[in-house]
Amino acid sequence: MKYLILVTLFFQLIAVPMFAQEPDDACYQCHIEMDIDQDDEDRLFTNYLNDIHVEKGFSCADCHGGDPEAFDDEDESMWDNDSYLGELSAKDEIQMCGKCHSDPVFMRNYSVSVSVDQETQYWTSGHGIALKKGNKKVATCTDCHGVHGILSVENPNSKVYDSTVPKTCSKCHSSESYMAGVLESTDQYDEYVKSVHGNALLEKKDMFAPACNDCHGNHGASPPDVSSINEICGTCHAQNRDLFQNSHLSEAFLKEGLPQCESCHGNHNIVKPSDDFLNWGSASVCVECHEEGGKAKEMAGTLYQIIDSLKINLDSAKTLVERAEIKGMEISDLYFNLEDAHNALIHTRTSIHSFNTDFVRETATPGMVASEEAKTGAKAALDEFDYRRKGLFVASFIITLLALLMYIKVKQVEAHSKKDGDNG
Amino acid sequence: MTVNDWLQERFDIEAVKRFAAKKQVPIFYGTVWYYLGGVSLFLFIIQVLTGILLALYYQPGSATAFESVKFIVSKVEFGWLMREIHSWAANLFVFAIFLHMFTVFFSKAYRKPRELTWFTGMVLLGLAMFFGFSGYLLPWNELAYFATKVGTDIAGAVPFIGDFLIKVLRAGDEVSGATLTRFYSIHTAILPMIFIIFLAVHLIMIQVQGMSIPLSMEGTPANKRKTMPFFPNFVIRDLIVWLIILNVIALLAVFFPWELGLKADSLASAPAGIRPEWYFMFMFQTLKILPAHMWILEGEVFGVLMFAVGGIIWLLVPFLEKPKHSKLWFWFGVTILIYMIVLTVWGYLV
Repeated sequence: MKYLILVTLFFQLIAVPMFAQEPDDACYQCHIEMDIDQDDEDRLFTNYLNDIHVEKGFSCADCHGGDPEAFDDEDESMWDNDSYLGELSAKDEIQMCGKCHSDPVFMRNYSVSVSVDQETQYWTSGHGIALKKGNKKVATCTDCHGVHGILSVENPNSKVYDSTVPKTCSKCHSSESYMAGVLESTDQYDEYVKSVHGNALLEKKDMFAPACNDCHGNHGASPPDVSSINEICGTCHAQNRDLFQNSHLSEAFLKEGLPQCESCHGNHNIVKPSDDFLNWGSASVCVECHEEGGKAKEMAGTLYQIIDSLKINLDSAKTLVERAEIKGMEISDLYFNLEDAHNALIHTRTSIHSFNTDFVRETATPGMVASEEAKTGAKAALDEFDYRRKGLFVASFIITLLALLMYIKVKQVEAHSKKDGDNG
Repeated sequence: MTVNDWLQERFDIEAVKRFAAKKQVPIFYGTVWYYLGGVSLFLFIIQVLTGILLALYYQPGSATAFESVKFIVSKVEFGWLMREIHSWAANLFVFAIFLHMFTVFFSKAYRKPRELTWFTGMVLLGLAMFFGFSGYLLPWNELAYFATKVGTDIAGAVPFIGDFLIKVLRAGDEVSGATLTRFYSIHTAILPMIFIIFLAVHLIMIQVQGMSIPLSMEGTPANKRKTMPFFPNFVIRDLIVWLIILNVIALLAVFFPWELGLKADSLASAPAGIRPEWYFMFMFQTLKILPAHMWILEGEVFGVLMFAVGGIIWLLVPFLEKPKHSKLWFWFGVTILIYMIVLTVWGYLV
């Protein structure tokens, strides 16, 4: 059995890659030899054999044309062949990829659920529009997916794998020289890395955290419109979006042309929101638009106070429960109250997007009740603890007294027996 | 007419008193060991009383056991105290019986005509350990669940009947709710019934044969021996010791409560530090350190057989011991005692 495993491992890890079938293809045969003299970055066939198209049986000619069977005859395979396309221009590349990827009937051969709108979307993207206008410094399919080593998007080594997307986009978008005259800022990636989303995706490896494409789109990538930002954020933060859209501030923001979520939370640099966002002062985001002394300050103060009270109540409940637990009391049920209170705190923090103090207070109420219940339970447990100690003291005293009385009794009995014995 | 007189007219109490007073307890440096039997009895009584009270609320079953124990310790008035006393007294009970057994062994109190008292006492020790084993699972918490799994696995190593034994104990192939129900009936019905029969025989033998006289006093004529009447002198002293033990249990219950822990989950991985009750530790540790194969047997089977043979020899000591080998048996006992202590400590250290 042990040998069988070793042989299987050998074939999987060493033998199969070593003897991987090289394509019987005139293009490949010549160009692979030319690759030997090239620097690493100029080689055509790095990772070529792992390319998803090669895996599915496509050859060089399927994209570039020419005759792949014309071995040892360069003219017949390329220059004299009418189908030969050679190196593709950016526009041709889009169309060439779209030839298959926009054909639902053809793509159904590989996956029934694959989307076929990439090309259409591309022409609506910032990249596609610029390309149409003749700007050649735009991303095309191969800029993001790779050229001759294209991997499935689900492959962790793919350039468009969820957690690699930010790095792929940053290749162009973080380059000041490349973006000169196109975009004013090139700090999106640096900001994103520091953001709560970047931290979740890149540090905590949370694949549900958004990368660039989750907010800007994939093939239709473009900066979101002011009026659509709430929908983009609302894809994940649905409750916050709904609350804000129903608030009095929604209309005011649109009127002023302010991007809804972004005005308070930022865009690429979104940090973990703090309750201090409401605390009128340096950390407050309200002061960006609102002036001192108005109704806004009053509302922010009320909202802050509601959250703060709940937080204080929850913290003191936690402390009491932990104290009772350390003393060995059975208080596991109280953790349900603490959890309820904690959930209410999260809901209350979300509810501030309604900018309705009554609603926020109402949301916080179950949390306050749960905190109070936890506190009452913990206090009862601590009282019970004291009661047990006192009870032990009293019981112990009575038992000791009884033992003493018995000792006196036995001494009396023994003295009596001795006297009887002496007399007898 | 006093109550005494009233009873006397219906039952000859004075005869019982005379009988009890006739029984003498020797006074010597080892008199203190004579209290251990009484202490064990007292702890058994505590177990019966607290056990009955706990049974009023306890609900066997994988879905209810843990919750009912939680309810007992958190909601039932003095429920926590009953559970603490039951748990602590259980441990002290086994400890007291072990101590009682070793003092009897080293003072050779098992010698003729007390072979049956020794034999019934040994059965009572075995039953007490089984009481502990079956009771440990009842709260249905994580530690108990996995300790029972390991414990019943060991029973499976018994040659020929191992598989059958596991099935009987577990009421199936795995430790489950069915095991819990089975352990509950063993703990609260089967074991008490058998225990009381052996206890009755044990106590009757002691009353009929009287206290064993230490070897050092055997040469002294009966009227020259320093003794005290069993009743009331020794009985009152016994009661004093019982009160002290009660105080100790109360202290332990309040200052060192037993944690309930997490509810048993058969799908969860075993938590670290799974170990049996301390009185099984020397056996558990032995099985752990034995190599996988001993001679033609598996290490575990060898260990189980070794303990079985050891137990039988220990049980038959009154019949096997010859006066000329008295010293040899003494050192045999010392070796066993040291072995048990060292392996137990070792088990807790690793």
